[in-house]
Amino acid sequence: MPLHDTSYQHWDGVHLGLWRRRWVIARNGLAAALQNKWMRNLVVLCWFGGLAMIAMLFVVGQLLVADSVIVQWVGNLNPQLQVFARMFTTWLEQHPEISVRTTQDVLFCFFGIFLMPVSIFALGMAMPVFITRDLGSNAIIIYSSKAVSRGDYLMGKFAAAFGVLVLTWLGPVCTAWLVGNLLAPDWSFFWHARVPLCHTLIFGLSSMCILSVLALGVSAVSPKEKTTIGLWYTAWILGGVVVPIATQTQPWLRHLSFNFNIDQIALGVFQLGDDLKIAQDNLPIFGSMLSNIRPDTMAALTAPATGGSVVALLLMAALAALVVRKRVKPE
Amino acid sequence: MPSPWVVPNLRLNMPTAPVIETQALTKVFGPQRALDGVNLTVAPGAIGLLGPNGAGKSTFMKCLLQLQPITSGSAKLLGREVGREGREIRKRVGYTPEQDCHIPGMAGCEYVTYCAQLCGLPFQAARQRAHEMLDFVGMGQERYRKADTYSTGMRQRLKLAQAIVHDPEIVFLDEPTNGLDPKGQAQILELVQSLWKTYGITVVVSSHLLQDVDKICEQIIIIARGRVLVHDTLENLKARKRGAAEVVMSARHLDLQAACARRSWPCEVLPNGHLKIEHQAESLNPLLTVLHELKLVPLEIIPSPNALEETFVQALEISHAAA
Repeated sequence: MPLHDTSYQHWDGVHLGLWRRRWVIARNGLAAALQNKWMRNLVVLCWFGGLAMIAMLFVVGQLLVADSVIVQWVGNLNPQLQVFARMFTTWLEQHPEISVRTTQDVLFCFFGIFLMPVSIFALGMAMPVFITRDLGSNAIIIYSSKAVSRGDYLMGKFAAAFGVLVLTWLGPVCTAWLVGNLLAPDWSFFWHARVPLCHTLIFGLSSMCILSVLALGVSAVSPKEKTTIGLWYTAWILGGVVVPIATQTQPWLRHLSFNFNIDQIALGVFQLGDDLKIAQDNLPIFGSMLSNIRPDTMAALTAPATGGSVVALLLMAALAALVVRKRVKPE
Repeated sequence: MPSPWVVPNLRLNMPTAPVIETQALTKVFGPQRALDGVNLTVAPGAIGLLGPNGAGKSTFMKCLLQLQPITSGSAKLLGREVGREGREIRKRVGYTPEQDCHIPGMAGCEYVTYCAQLCGLPFQAARQRAHEMLDFVGMGQERYRKADTYSTGMRQRLKLAQAIVHDPEIVFLDEPTNGLDPKGQAQILELVQSLWKTYGITVVVSSHLLQDVDKICEQIIIIARGRVLVHDTLENLKARKRGAAEVVMSARHLDLQAACARRSWPCEVLPNGHLKIEHQAESLNPLLTVLHELKLVPLEIIPSPNALEETFVQALEISHAAA
């Protein structure tokens, strides 16, 4: 016999609002994704990347401090690097508004692009917890019978995918920006670094929205976990294989790769070509270093195919939305 | 000691307004009419939705819950228009689907807590309610195990717990005893019965098993081929009997037939050898008197089926004829 009252009790409390219910779905999705040990390891790896970024920003900042360890360390480098470091320091001192912006733009762009594959990989691992499992277990009908609509459900799942990307991508980048500038020798670094932050947010948020929608679309393709995970990675890898081939034959085919499209958006948002040109003008030695870069790479950096990439990503997102609309039904 | 937001036991005001109102409710799947102009006004209570497989019971429930869009007609649930106030309706409604519907990887108590949160309960309240409901449905420590490992009986209990965790005013149970052994069936039916009788929650039980709804329901709706054949109280349906009985005799059939003819009672010999006698009385007394007068000892007397059984059989026949 139970020691406590096991009879039915009526509940007379206040119901929480709709956004809280959507948040519950998102939080549950994110928690389910993080139950995977490899996913947690991946998140930690991304935050180590963030730490590396902070270290780089710290080094750049310390170049302005005359008696810092970094400056002394630079003094022991080979002559060419010493010249570069001194010119860089002079540039930072004379034009901080341009130099800080340019330096951080370049760093955040490369960092963002570096973290993107890790984030895409993480999304693949989390694929089943978005929609696949709910399709496989008929749980959609449970959501539909509660006080949430299909739109609320999808918003929650979108937020879960977005949350994975925040943990593996935007979180480390934004934290690196904040901590890196806190460690800078001057508060004005925050002001000078506002444009790189805006670029990071524009690129990060737009790419994450697109990737989240794509992830939901792939996740809704099948109720089988292996199928959706396989489909996501296959699409990613095939895209990577197609790009170098298409560059030589049919350049428009490169837009079949969502990875390529996002890279192009990064280059378009950060305007890396302009930043490199500024750096080249101000650091002559940098110019000679850039001359080693292949012309086609330089052309890709200065004139990214942003328009085509945006259109291609929007088409992919529309296709994903169509799949979700067709598949996510109570029955 | 209960929290201040918990109102123990009975609802003080038992609901009286109709809980379900439909007008010409129709649902079409391609060439098939799953619901064909259903008109109903259903008062609160324990309601049995009876019919053979494929009769339209589940579709009827799903249309009311907006899990299926209505093709034509209109429906109101708890006084609110279905299709316009979906979230508000579902906040006050519980539902257990026929098939399994747990979320993989979640323990039973996590799942019920999550369902409560989806209905708008704050986390603390949701967790407390989840445990209370799991106690109520009779789940012990297995609530901490992943639902993927549950037996059919446990899953049915879990489904019931998630359906009532937010304290709904009406609960729809789609084939709640499917896959259960007789003991499990009896336990689930007892729980379901208590929801209305003790706690004032209207229960709509869909089943193709007559004995299930016969045990726990006060109102019966029999559906066949998407049409409502009957909607009445169980009491009325049982009281409505045709004055007929089947008599199983070992000998002297002709004596009994002659006695019936003298009283102008139609009598026929069925293919199984039983005598079907329409004695036209509510009780068996006149027939027993005749048997007594003739000093006949029948092997068995089978009273005529009541209207509930007859209509159910009729529904089955309609369904079979259509198949």
